[in-house]
Amino acid sequence: MPGADKETDLSERIESFLSELKRCGSGAGSLRGSAETARETTALLRRITAQARWGNAGELMEIIRKEGRRMTAAQPSETTVGNMIRRVLKIIREEYARSRGSSEETDQQESLHKLLTSGGSSEDNFRQHFTHLKANVIEAINELLTELEGTTDNISMQALEHIHSNEVIMTIGRSRTVEAFLKDAARKRKFHVIVAECAPFCQGHEMATSLCKEDIETTVIPDAAIFAVMSRVNKVIIGTQTVLANGGLRAVNGTHTLALAAKHHSTPLIVCAPMFKLSPQLVILLYKNYFFVLILSKVNAHCPVFDYVPPELITLFISNIGGNAPSYIYRLMSELYHPEDHEL
Amino acid sequence: NVDKNKLVEYFRAQIREDPDVASAVAAIRSLLEFLKRDQSETILGLRENQTKAIQRLEETDSSVAVSSGGELFLRFISLTSLEHPDLSQCKNVMIERGELFLKKISLSRGKVGKLCHTFIKDGAKILTHSSSRVVLKVLENAAADNKRFTVYVTESQPDSAGKLMAQKLHNLNIPVTVVLDAAVGYIMEKVDLVIVGAEGVVESGGVINKIGTYQMAVCSKAHNKPFYVVAESFKFVRLYPLNQQDVPDRFKYKADILKTVKDLNQEHPMIDYTPPSLITLLFTDLGVLTPSAVSDELIKLYL
Repeated sequence: MPGADKETDLSERIESFLSELKRCGSGAGSLRGSAETARETTALLRRITAQARWGNAGELMEIIRKEGRRMTAAQPSETTVGNMIRRVLKIIREEYARSRGSSEETDQQESLHKLLTSGGSSEDNFRQHFTHLKANVIEAINELLTELEGTTDNISMQALEHIHSNEVIMTIGRSRTVEAFLKDAARKRKFHVIVAECAPFCQGHEMATSLCKEDIETTVIPDAAIFAVMSRVNKVIIGTQTVLANGGLRAVNGTHTLALAAKHHSTPLIVCAPMFKLSPQLVILLYKNYFFVLILSKVNAHCPVFDYVPPELITLFISNIGGNAPSYIYRLMSELYHPEDHEL
Repeated sequence: NVDKNKLVEYFRAQIREDPDVASAVAAIRSLLEFLKRDQSETILGLRENQTKAIQRLEETDSSVAVSSGGELFLRFISLTSLEHPDLSQCKNVMIERGELFLKKISLSRGKVGKLCHTFIKDGAKILTHSSSRVVLKVLENAAADNKRFTVYVTESQPDSAGKLMAQKLHNLNIPVTVVLDAAVGYIMEKVDLVIVGAEGVVESGGVINKIGTYQMAVCSKAHNKPFYVVAESFKFVRLYPLNQQDVPDRFKYKADILKTVKDLNQEHPMIDYTPPSLITLLFTDLGVLTPSAVSDELIKLYL
C-alpha cells in the first residue's frame, strides 16, 4: 500500500535524523554548523507535512509537536531544532488564520487589550478542515527554507557599514557567520583581525588560516591575553550558538571573558547571529554541557562548552533582517514564535 | 453620594472577606457592581459616574494599584462603548465582559506563580521586601515543586509588613529570616536572587513598590545579583516618572494622611520608584518581560 510505504519511509527518515543529532552531541559524528541543522530540520518538517496523515491544522500541529519533543530530547543543546519547529508551528497558525479569513494575525499575543475586549473564549482549536491548507503550509515552509539559505549572505552584506579601514577587530573561536562577514568586508577594506584561540579545541587556529587565505592580516592570541590586547582593539565581532529571549547569549566558552574585557575598555561588542538562532528560552542549564579531559591519571579537568553572556554587555545584534539592540530582541521573538509554542 | 458610600462599603467588604484579593481586583469588582446599579441615560453620563466613583475609591485607598485598576476599567468602558453605541446593549455587553475580565484577572496571580518558580533553583537563597501576595504565591509554588530554598525578608518599617510575610512563609514550612531594613547591604552577598512584588508597573518598565525597594535594587545591582519583579498585568499604569520626586504625592502617602496633614514634607512616603535599569526581568501573566517590553504592552492597550 503506497500510504504505508510513505509512512515507513517518513519514520525512517525521522529516526535517522534523530540518531544523527545524538551522534553530533557525543562528538563522534561530523560537526555540523547550526545552519545545516536548521535546514535539515525544516526540510524534515516539510516532509512530515507532506507525507503524514492529518485532517486539520490541529492534528498537524500535534504531530509536529510530538516529533519536535523527540528531536529536542535527542540533543538538548542544539536549540536550532526547537526554533525551527516553533517557526513551522507559527506558520501553520498563520496559514490557518488566513484560510479562515480572520484578522487574527495581528493579535496573537496575550495582551491587556485582548483581556479587556475579548467576549467569551474565542479559542478555536484548529479543528476546521481546509483543502488548500497543506499546499499553503508547504509553500510557506519553502519560503522559510529560502530565507535560511540566504542568511549568511544577508549578514555579510552589512559588513561594509560596520568595518572601516585600518580597524583592529577581535573575535573568538570559529564562527562561519563571522568568517563570511569579515571576508566580505575584506574585499573592499584593509583591516587587522585578532583571533582568540579558544582552548582546548583551538578552533581559532582554523579561523585564522581561513582568514589568511583571503589576505586578511590575522594574529592568533591565547585566551589569557584577551584583556591585555583589548586596549588596542576597535571592535569585537563574535558569533554565538543561541540568542536567548532576554537578549543574552549562549556562546562558546571564553565569550563572557571577552565581553567583560570589551565592556571594561568600552569597546563595542557586535554579535552576528541569524534569526534562526533566536530561542524563546530564558533559563538554559549551562552545567549539562561539559567535556572531560584527562591530564595524568589522577586529575580531571571540567571544561564547560558554553558561556552565558548577559545582555548588558552586548552593543548590537546583526542578523539577516538588520541590526538590533539587545533590548529589542523580545519584539523579534514575538514576531517569530507564538507564545503557546514556547513550551513544546 | 449615598451610592458612593455604598460603593466604598462594598469595596471594604471585599477586602475584609478575602484578605488575599489584590486591591485592584476588589476595586474593579466594586466598580462593576456600581455599573450594574447605575441609572444614567447616556454613555457619557455612565462614564462621568464611573470617573467620580473611581475618585471616591482612590480617596479611600490611595495605592497605585487601585488607580491602575480604575483606569483600566474606564478604558474597558470606552472600548466597549465604541463598539456598541446604544446604551442598553452596551451595558449588557459591558456587564458580560466585565464578569469575564474579572474571572481572568483572578487567575493572574496563579499564572505568575507558575512562570516564576522555575527560576528558583534548589538551594537558592532569596531576598524579598515587605509583604507581597504574589511573591508568596511564587514561593508557595516553588515549595510545592519540592525545591529547597531559604528566604530573607526585610522587616519593612513603618508597618512591619515583613514580619507578616515571615509568618506566612513559616506556615508554609519555608525557612525564613527577618532582617532589618538597614541590613540589606549586609545580607546581599549571601543571597542568590532578589524577588519583589510591585504596587504598580510604570511605562518605562520601572516599578513602584513599598519604600526600601529602590535601595534593595541598587544594592543588588552593585553585587550583580538578579533582581526580579513579579506583578499581574492589571498593575500596569500610565505614569512615566524620571526620579523619585516625579511620583505623584497622592500615591506616596496613605489616604487619611493626605486628607488631614498640612505639610507633607514632614511625612514619610510609603512607596518609592525603582528605575528599569536595575530590574533584570518582570514576571507577569502576559509572560516573562524585559523592562523594555512593558511599554509595548501599555501602548497596545491605550493607543
